Amino acid sequence: MAAKSPVKEPPGTSAVNPTTPLAPPPVKPELPSSSEPDVVNVPSYSRWFSFDSISECEVKFLPEFFDSRSPSKNPRVYRYYRDSIVKHYRENPSRKITFTDVRRTLVGDVGSIRRVFDFLETWGLINYFASVKTLKWEDKETKSSAASAESSSALKETSKRLCNGCKTLCTIACFACDKYDLTLCARCYVRGNHRVGVSSSDFRRVEISEEARSDWTEKETLQLLEAIMHFGDDWRKVAQHVSGKSEKDCITHFIKLPFGQEFVCKESDSEDVDNKFFSINNPSDAVSESENVGATSPSKRMRLTPLADASNPIMAQAAFLSALAGVEIAEVAARAAVTTLSDVDDRASKGSLMRNTRQQEAEVASNGDATQNALARASVDASSLIEKEELDVEKAISGIVEVQMKEIQDKIIRFESLDLQMEEEWKQLEQVKNLLFVDQLSVLFHKSNARKNGDRTEENVKTDVS
Amino acid sequence: MKLPATSSSKAPVKFRMPTEDNLVPIRLDIETEGQRYKDAFTWNPSDPDSEVVVFAKRTVRDLKLPPQFITQIAQSIQTQLTEFRSYEGQDMYTAEKIVPIKLDLRVNHTLIKDHFLWDLNNYESDPEEFARTFCNDMGIEDPEVGPAVAFAIREQLYESVASAREIKISKKGRRGAEHAISSKGGGNALDLMKLFRYNSSVVRKRKEWYVYEPIVDILSNEEVDALEAREDRNTR
Repeated sequence: MAAKSPVKEPPGTSAVNPTTPLAPPPVKPELPSSSEPDVVNVPSYSRWFSFDSISECEVKFLPEFFDSRSPSKNPRVYRYYRDSIVKHYRENPSRKITFTDVRRTLVGDVGSIRRVFDFLETWGLINYFASVKTLKWEDKETKSSAASAESSSALKETSKRLCNGCKTLCTIACFACDKYDLTLCARCYVRGNHRVGVSSSDFRRVEISEEARSDWTEKETLQLLEAIMHFGDDWRKVAQHVSGKSEKDCITHFIKLPFGQEFVCKESDSEDVDNKFFSINNPSDAVSESENVGATSPSKRMRLTPLADASNPIMAQAAFLSALAGVEIAEVAARAAVTTLSDVDDRASKGSLMRNTRQQEAEVASNGDATQNALARASVDASSLIEKEELDVEKAISGIVEVQMKEIQDKIIRFESLDLQMEEEWKQLEQVKNLLFVDQLSVLFHKSNARKNGDRTEENVKTDVS
Repeated sequence: MKLPATSSSKAPVKFRMPTEDNLVPIRLDIETEGQRYKDAFTWNPSDPDSEVVVFAKRTVRDLKLPPQFITQIAQSIQTQLTEFRSYEGQDMYTAEKIVPIKLDLRVNHTLIKDHFLWDLNNYESDPEEFARTFCNDMGIEDPEVGPAVAFAIREQLYESVASAREIKISKKGRRGAEHAISSKGGGNALDLMKLFRYNSSVVRKRKEWYVYEPIVDILSNEEVDALEAREDRNTR
């Protein structure tokens, strides 16, 4: 029950009774027993902190106290807030203090107190190594952080760890640097989000085992599969359906399940693999492709940072994913993606360039340590591809033949028509010849007649004269 | 926005808290689904409104309240803030005005009773400073007492100033204003004038000492429980 009970009397009286019966009785806690050393962990990037002074860091992040805009916000007040919050936390470093605890004890307006509190929390001066998750981890925390107070190498034992760069919880894998006592989550490590002067080679990978948290019984696995069949990609509903497992657990376990168990047929196999990767990782096509490139070159295995070029977010994403998942998983994933891609390519019938790269990738993939399943499937796929190609070739040839035949037919038809034309012309020519002959004859007749007439007239003339 | 308030000037001043920092006392009392949340704190009205929701979420998360509280807390804060802001544009006339402040509060195991006078005209007054000094002087160990005292003072000041403003609105004309001043709390102002006359001294009469003396009591657990039960009964 969150009952806090001040009594608000009617405004007629001028007495006011605010009360907050939350905090423990005001008995000064006894000094911690000497068994626990009085060491408080402060992250290295907060080394500037000291009770006696105010550093430029603080001035930069909390300017409201230092620009004399408001008469009540001055450095003295800031130091009062800061010192009291830090002291309050350090009374019990293993316990996380909340903002509400603190603001009840400080005189001032809650807005500025909240900002100071957030600032201190972000810089790890309070609630450092305290769990941000549920209360049940606090017991583990107190035990493990007590141990870690002894020596920094005991960092390995804490089960929940905060990343120094982005202040999120490290879940699957994180990178620890013992030299400077830093912990980074995979994302920050890949992005190079650590202090200047620390190189990425100083980090080593620390797996945080998740399976220890949850053993998957058969019943739960069955529930998981049912849920996935019903709800597909909606992991929230899947997690609800499976009793007692969180979303992330479901997804992780699902990925780890052997492939043959999950899928019905090979076609949907590759598609589901695609979908699974797409939905879980929210990448685009390019990511799985670039994962190929990233993971299939084994020489680049340990040197992830060249790929984590921040200017190319996709590469950074791919590097982050492969760092997170571990090397073997990334390899297997890449190979599966390769097969899928080749199927997709085939269906879309891209140019030979893709085929070449695919063959190269397939070669590279098969050069590595391939699992039996992948290889057998690849060969089966290859033979089916060959058959398809042959059929295609036959079809192509018959097509060509048809086309040629048509051409010849057309030519014949044209020649025939030409022949006809020729004959007609011949006939015409003959006719004309005949006409000409007739004309010639008639001319001859006329000529002979005319001569006869001429002779007669001559005779006539002669007779006339005589 | 501080005008030098001379004793005789009745020039209007823009409404604000008569303290050095213009902070609003916010009181929350929300009951949902059988859970009751009561709280009191000071708020800076120049903070952006987004701050309200952030604060509400933070509080609910820290105290592990059910999420319905978030909207209710935010609404309550917002209402009180808007009320304060609606006053802000208006003028207020604060003549020489000394108000009595009574403290009667219980914070965890500490019971505090006190009675003193406060100058409403003094815009450089600081309830927080008073609370700090009070706790130091009285040797109070519980760190939650300080803010509670400061809040109580601030709340009473807020009430006085708000009511002063309201009376101004209702009565038009300076004469009405003067009357109003004299009627509300002005009794104290008159008292002061009396005090500073020639025939009386500034020093308080001995018999009045006990009224103005601060009392700090540490209660035992049973007493606390008894008091709480009585308070609950009163409010329900």
